[in-house]
Amino acid sequence: MIFSKEKTILAYTVEKCTKCEKLHKRDFIAGDVLFTNSSNCSFCGEVTLIEKIFGEVLE
Amino acid sequence: MGDDTNPLMMLIWILPIILFVFYGQQIQLLVTSGEIKKGIKKLNNFRLNSKTELIDYVKNNLNPASDPTKKIEQFLDYFTIMPVDMDPSGIVEKVRHTVRSREDYTRNHIKSMSPGINDIELNRVQTLLEIASSLQMIHKIVNHMFLTAKKQKNYPLILPVQMILPFLMEHATAMNSSIPAFKTGQPLGDGIGPMVVGKMMLNDEKEIISFQTALAKIEYKKRKLFLLKAEGPGSTVGRPDDALQKIVNDNKIDAVIMIDAALKMEGEDSASVARGFGAAIGGIGTEKFQIEHIATQNKIPIFSIIVKQSVKEAITLMSKEIADQADNVRSQVYEMILENTTEGQSIVVIGVGNTAGVPQ
Repeated sequence: MIFSKEKTILAYTVEKCTKCEKLHKRDFIAGDVLFTNSSNCSFCGEVTLIEKIFGEVLE
Repeated sequence: MGDDTNPLMMLIWILPIILFVFYGQQIQLLVTSGEIKKGIKKLNNFRLNSKTELIDYVKNNLNPASDPTKKIEQFLDYFTIMPVDMDPSGIVEKVRHTVRSREDYTRNHIKSMSPGINDIELNRVQTLLEIASSLQMIHKIVNHMFLTAKKQKNYPLILPVQMILPFLMEHATAMNSSIPAFKTGQPLGDGIGPMVVGKMMLNDEKEIISFQTALAKIEYKKRKLFLLKAEGPGSTVGRPDDALQKIVNDNKIDAVIMIDAALKMEGEDSASVARGFGAAIGGIGTEKFQIEHIATQNKIPIFSIIVKQSVKEAITLMSKEIADQADNVRSQVYEMILENTTEGQSIVVIGVGNTAGVPQ
């Protein structure tokens, strides 16, 4: 389908650390819900909150 | 001797003219039919895809006691007869009653397939059912109009189909593309209103004020805010009109601010934000009517903030551009509150839209 006009959209989740406010973008995983706790912050180890879930067109 | 006096050349010129005079409409019908046939084939694929996705979802997630295929197929053919509007007095109440009866029926129908189903799954299946049902209806109507024109060999009859088809295709494609987002519980473009208000009420006590509608009461710079949104993260728009009526019954409200996604015009940028007056709420019109009625009766001004987007953006996974506007819209809401109200006043802030994937 090299001539297909359909664009592939990938879903991403953005986590925000509740302490240092660092943002971390990763692939969306089934079960991710906005404003819920997610993984620990890779900088300060504090729990992160899901700030955004969005789709981006694969370039 | 010139070509124009050659009898053979004259025949070559005259024959097509005669052909077009007598068979022009049939030729146009043939050419247009090809385009419409392609559209109908696409619509049929959308219809089948949405039905298959729905049946698979129900089978894999709801553990129904028996095969749900027949029940779902039966439901897809259900129709809604809108009330007579020859005497428009009271028509809104009648439409609201008809629409809500249908919604209640759909919910009960799904519950009968899987009695232990939770509310989030119920809303999800209800939305998938509505999508499949709408796609089936669009396909059926376009196909009917096309076949009627062909049967009658009537070219003018096919013109409305040809004109409306691109718009219908845009809606149908958007609905078909929205299925994965609804299945996985991801936020939609239309969810920007609930997303903004959901974050405003995140750490405050919430209550359910009307059917599938959450309310939080907070203080902001010596003003009382009533924050309203559909109860997430299930796929629902709630009943903000009923909620507003209840709030107004018990409180003196000085302003209403509505945040919603709105369809952008061609040439406008996606995710651009605009402010205005009046009730920003879509749907069939009954909720808008009710909100306007409450506001008029109580002399409450309605302000609105809209985030512009296309049909497809509104009902598919929220785009990055729209998600990035959430903080901006939230700060505009606070700005609007300070600009239009004074200390001690009460304001209702409504996040309008489908709250799929957006809790509070």
